[in-house]
Amino acid sequence: MDGGKFFGAFRACSGIQDAVVLTHVPVGCNWGAAMFKSTSNQPDIRQACTVMHEREIVFGGEEALREALVRANRLYNTPLFVVITGDAPAIIGDDVEGVIDSVTLNKEVVCVDAAGFKGTMRKGYEEALVRLAQLMKERTVIKNSVNLIGFCPDEFKVDADVKELTRLLNNAGIKVNCVISKCSLDEFVNAPAAELNVVMGQGTELAEHMKKEFGVPYLEVDYPYGLEGTADFINAICEHLHAGVNEKKPDLEPFKRIYLYLHELYGTPVSVIGDSHAEHMARFLDSELGFDIEVLAGNEDDYFIFEQNVRNSNTTILFGSSFERNITSELRIPLVRFTYPVFDHVCVYDDAPYAGFRGAVCLTETILNAVMGFGDKFGGLTIKTEEG
Amino acid sequence: MEIDVEVDVKTAGYGKALEPRETASNGVLQNVFRDRVFNGIYQGTTWQFHRYGLNCKLSGSVYAVSEIDGAIPLIHGPNGCAFHQRLTPRKMYAPIYNLPYTDLDENDVIYGGEEKLRKKIYEVYHRFHPSLIAVLPTCVSGLVGDDVQGVITEVEVPCDVLYVPSEGFAHRSRESLDLMMRDFAESWKDPTRSPAYDLRGCGHEEVMFSLVDQLMEEQDIVENLVNIESFGRFTYGFESELKEIKHIFGEMGVSVNLTLPTCTVAEIKRAPAAELNIVTRNIRWAERMKEKFENDYLRKWFFYFGFDGVEKFYHDVASKLGLDGEADAAVKKEKKQALGELGRYQRMFARDDFAVSTQGFFFTPYLVSMYAQDLKLPIKYLCVDTQLLKGLNISDVTIEIMMKNMEEAFLNWDLGFEVVMNPTLDEMSEIAKKVDHVLSDRITPPLYEKGGEIGMIDISTTRYLLFRTGFSGIVEFGEYLASVLHRGQTKRKPIMSRFDYDTTYYPLLADPMCMASREMWFTMWGMKSKKELRETGEG
Repeated sequence: MDGGKFFGAFRACSGIQDAVVLTHVPVGCNWGAAMFKSTSNQPDIRQACTVMHEREIVFGGEEALREALVRANRLYNTPLFVVITGDAPAIIGDDVEGVIDSVTLNKEVVCVDAAGFKGTMRKGYEEALVRLAQLMKERTVIKNSVNLIGFCPDEFKVDADVKELTRLLNNAGIKVNCVISKCSLDEFVNAPAAELNVVMGQGTELAEHMKKEFGVPYLEVDYPYGLEGTADFINAICEHLHAGVNEKKPDLEPFKRIYLYLHELYGTPVSVIGDSHAEHMARFLDSELGFDIEVLAGNEDDYFIFEQNVRNSNTTILFGSSFERNITSELRIPLVRFTYPVFDHVCVYDDAPYAGFRGAVCLTETILNAVMGFGDKFGGLTIKTEEG
Repeated sequence: MEIDVEVDVKTAGYGKALEPRETASNGVLQNVFRDRVFNGIYQGTTWQFHRYGLNCKLSGSVYAVSEIDGAIPLIHGPNGCAFHQRLTPRKMYAPIYNLPYTDLDENDVIYGGEEKLRKKIYEVYHRFHPSLIAVLPTCVSGLVGDDVQGVITEVEVPCDVLYVPSEGFAHRSRESLDLMMRDFAESWKDPTRSPAYDLRGCGHEEVMFSLVDQLMEEQDIVENLVNIESFGRFTYGFESELKEIKHIFGEMGVSVNLTLPTCTVAEIKRAPAAELNIVTRNIRWAERMKEKFENDYLRKWFFYFGFDGVEKFYHDVASKLGLDGEADAAVKKEKKQALGELGRYQRMFARDDFAVSTQGFFFTPYLVSMYAQDLKLPIKYLCVDTQLLKGLNISDVTIEIMMKNMEEAFLNWDLGFEVVMNPTLDEMSEIAKKVDHVLSDRITPPLYEKGGEIGMIDISTTRYLLFRTGFSGIVEFGEYLASVLHRGQTKRKPIMSRFDYDTTYYPLLADPMCMASREMWFTMWGMKSKKELRETGEG
């Protein structure tokens, strides 16, 4: 299920953690983006809206945008405004850049055209990052440093995953220069100091742009789920940087404690749906837990067909977002949430990732608990007793 | 049988309980608590986000359509609209999963999306086999100028197809709520002056109007049959309240035709068979039904709460249906029984002094009247907080009028307590020392327990029992409060009390970014209102 270009742009831009996103839209688009972002971070409210109303639809929204910029400039103590324009101003033809140029502000302003009807969420994310890249500055390269590209601030487990991957890379002697897009403006501006860009699922256009503009090479890798996935991730980066791998072998002890359960789940038919992480999750489930992948779908695929395919399969666990609660409820199977949007579970503990070596443990624990604690597994069964 | 409050300690410490009252509670309180926990965790949180923004009109329409059994909302717009409207604020506990959309793209913006809509209506019918498809246009289809009604008229599917104007830019303004608050404050002193106009729709009203206009069919009106407008099955205590209303109506000889829109498509078509509509929200749809099918209506006003208010409500229904007399007797019997049950708790409350901390809103004077007159709480201090109003962007002028009129109403009703407006922490602490109990009908521990260590009894959830169109809720509230007073309070140090909150916009954190975002929303939304009012000559 794809959220469209506006959501992709919003997710990319709100990842600059000291920026304010000014959405030039009617109230609903602004509300929707905030709702999905705030589930696991309620005080992080850094957005404002021009509140396009009927008047703006008839007479244009430029005056509202000008007012919003002037007021925001006074109210927010922040170095950057990102103006994201949605469907309505794109159709009525507001001259957004003209308005921005006409006001004097003591902040940087970047304008992103992200009308929802103009493309997918992925496209919105890619284009927004390239627009933001105009803020980047040429920097002296820091040896053995990388930027991790492809993150969003509202992804499930994002804080914990970034912490774990940073730990692993640091252990290998590699510095994480910037996490895009989950960083400060300063870190973003200095991103060209990295020796290598590591693209994890999305953000390829930014990596291409940085290669062209700043000569930073890039490497596309899988999102590091599982022990093998994590080892591949570290090895690929180390190989590229000619750095030694110092990470000890992953600790198998946690898996040993539940090895009989892992035996029982071997060969379990499961399905996976999600963003760019879905394929990498499926790889871990297949390769390391021994699950059989019945249906694998991306957000841009037809959701109705996905549901039909799952119904017609032997799926007993579904991996996806909160939107899959309906189909799992219908099929009476557990749902493991791992991909955006997750709005019915929170993740606030930074040491329980899904990525990396520690993530492999947490993820496996989550899967087992989802199965073992699944309340409805015997629903509909009648067990006859001697009396009855 | 007269029962005094003899305390029976079942177990030591936690779990002390009063003897149960004679009439079973039917799980009303548990129903409210369940709704609060499982639905409120989303809805209560979402409510706070209204300090920073407003949901789309489209989401109100999607929600209202989702209440109709057998109906499918079809969004005529890009995928992004359908993506996030699944999570409509009033139903976050149960997102709307089946939400097809026409997926308008750049090509459709140029050439129009009518053909896509036509195809999608057929596709939706074949996928879901609904009884009704409700087509909801978005900002994009509205701006492009698609002839949605024309397409609906043309398509031939074996189900009904409804058009609901839901474009997101056609939303209510801030000032409209402000004006309505002001008019309500005037009517506290004189309920006959209650404002008989509507706030501009937030999607729900548009669906209701479209149902009347496009779906309902002419029926023979059946005597003593009523329709009840619901705000959806996810409203706190909806199920148990409906059960009680039906019971009392049954005693009066009145039958319920349906709850609108929480019913089937076929039932909606038969709605005009009712003699009377009970309106709980806006009246526009009911006016239209009156005009089109001659069904009378009665709006449920704020003064229909409390023992006398509930009795008046049923009396007014009976009058509208020509059932005065016998029906009134049935209601009086229900009321008398409830009053008898409440007596034991009233006697318990009479032993202590109370302070009540409440927040100013539409219903506040009548809620306070219930505390004082129905529950007979000996209230010494009434602390009224205007933060909620501030949070809803109500102007200072309106707040001042509301508070003045509220105080006048209390004087007229001779309630005999001292009113303290917006007490400081120190003032609250002093008040707490002068009474035995402080009740708070909003969640205040983070503000008061933190600094002054003022122990407050939280009745924020249970007060919903008082907003019911029946007598049992008041009795249940009395029983609950008695058990809490008996149980006593543990000394708490809630984690949430350790944060710094903004004292004006509590429970928002005292965070400069949050406050700036709130201020931005307040001013930008307010600007629309002023322009709108200037144009309509209201301001």
